[in-house]
Amino acid sequence: MKRQGPIILAFTIGMLMLVQFFTPAAFFKQAYNIILDWKQVVLGFTFILGTWSLIRYHYTKISRRRENWQYSYVTLAGLAATVTAALVWKTATGPYPWLFNNVQVPMQSTMFSLLAFFVASASYRAFRARTFHATLLLIAGALVMLGRVPIGAYLSGSVFGVKISLVEISDWVLNVPNAAAKRGIMIGVGLGMTATAIKIVLGIEQTYLGKTD
Amino acid sequence: MAFYDRMMSIDRRIIFLSVGLAVAIPIIVPLGFPVQVSEETRSFYREMAALKPGDTILLSFDYEGDVMAELNPMAVAVLRHAFSRDIKVVAITTYAGGTGIAERLLTEAAARYGKTYGIDYVFLGYNPDWSGTMLRLGESFKATYPTDQYGKSTYEIPIMQNVETYRDIALVVSISGSALSEYWAIWAGGRYGAKVISGNTAIQAILIYPYYKAGQIPGFLGGLKGAAEYEKLIDEPGMGIRGMDAQSVAHALMLAFIIVGNVGYFFSRRAQARQSK
Repeated sequence: MKRQGPIILAFTIGMLMLVQFFTPAAFFKQAYNIILDWKQVVLGFTFILGTWSLIRYHYTKISRRRENWQYSYVTLAGLAATVTAALVWKTATGPYPWLFNNVQVPMQSTMFSLLAFFVASASYRAFRARTFHATLLLIAGALVMLGRVPIGAYLSGSVFGVKISLVEISDWVLNVPNAAAKRGIMIGVGLGMTATAIKIVLGIEQTYLGKTD
Repeated sequence: MAFYDRMMSIDRRIIFLSVGLAVAIPIIVPLGFPVQVSEETRSFYREMAALKPGDTILLSFDYEGDVMAELNPMAVAVLRHAFSRDIKVVAITTYAGGTGIAERLLTEAAARYGKTYGIDYVFLGYNPDWSGTMLRLGESFKATYPTDQYGKSTYEIPIMQNVETYRDIALVVSISGSALSEYWAIWAGGRYGAKVISGNTAIQAILIYPYYKAGQIPGFLGGLKGAAEYEKLIDEPGMGIRGMDAQSVAHALMLAFIIVGNVGYFFSRRAQARQSK
């Protein structure tokens, strides 16, 4: 029953969600809304689980003096400070927005901004015209990079009477080959998701239960 | 070391410093590159401009602090465009970190145009289940969000009296740093017929093209450039236009480094070929 229970549940809910999509019957609509409400409740509980897991992990790390255990104090202190600020002063005013605007946002922005430096360094080292395909990628990348910024309009002009617009070339690359490739991938992913969903509903796919073979 | 070897092995600290200067200098000393408006942005603008005063839009802040440099200018421009034309805004966020961003931007824009909370705009807050939210809003806004961000019942908030499902929303605007704009198009658009437009980070924008070409997302803003173009169209220059110079110079610099590396690579291969002969 430990294994059959979840399979029966997945089948029932899966079939219910499938059927409700094709029928306007009030019962199915009501069931659909109840399932969506439950989904929100379940996801809400994952936050409690996540917070508990975070606390336990860092508590264990500190108590066993694992590598860089000192930083765990910072994590736990940050968690306690943010939760206390939100519970005591609410989120609109007081220390919570201050913590958000002056700690979380600058840290997240800084981490993301570092990408610009690493991308510049990595593209300089990796973007080499070693093969035909690499050269094609290099040219397409360069055209889009320039065509997507205002300086691209400056670099456009006419060569031997032929008008060359980097902006138009960049737009063509994004609208035609890029859109076509993405559409192909999306159709493949969609078919794969449908197949996997059918396998889960029918109990053929059981890896979500921890079954590996 | 031969000159071509030097060209292929520029110290990464020089690259980092160059990128830092390429971004910082144009922000301090603007170069004023003209912004050319793309068709995607024009379409986004057309959808917003087609709204009538009194219409309601659903603005979803689908991002956190990491991408706010790229997406905040879009959200600010959308709010200014909406409020300046007396369009009502129902705002939500699908990211926990988006709460602070949405609160700040909504408050600032509302103060600028003298808008009242609860009448002209409302912030329903964060719901951890983004997929469930997108679907559930198609059935009932108030059941999905029984209270707003500040705990007030949505049944008592004036702006919410006329908002029951997507049918009461003239336009869904997703400002996103992830794939969520696509899901808005699939679920809110595909299942419930909501009209969805989006603002996306440059990296995410390339994934929006199939939806745009198919008309499922009839307009979108791509990266900081999209924000700058939209700011130009609504005549509200902001951080988007200011950031364009920096992005232009940074892109040109990166390309220059790539060219230098490839020239070095070309000469090194020629030297190797000569030696092997």
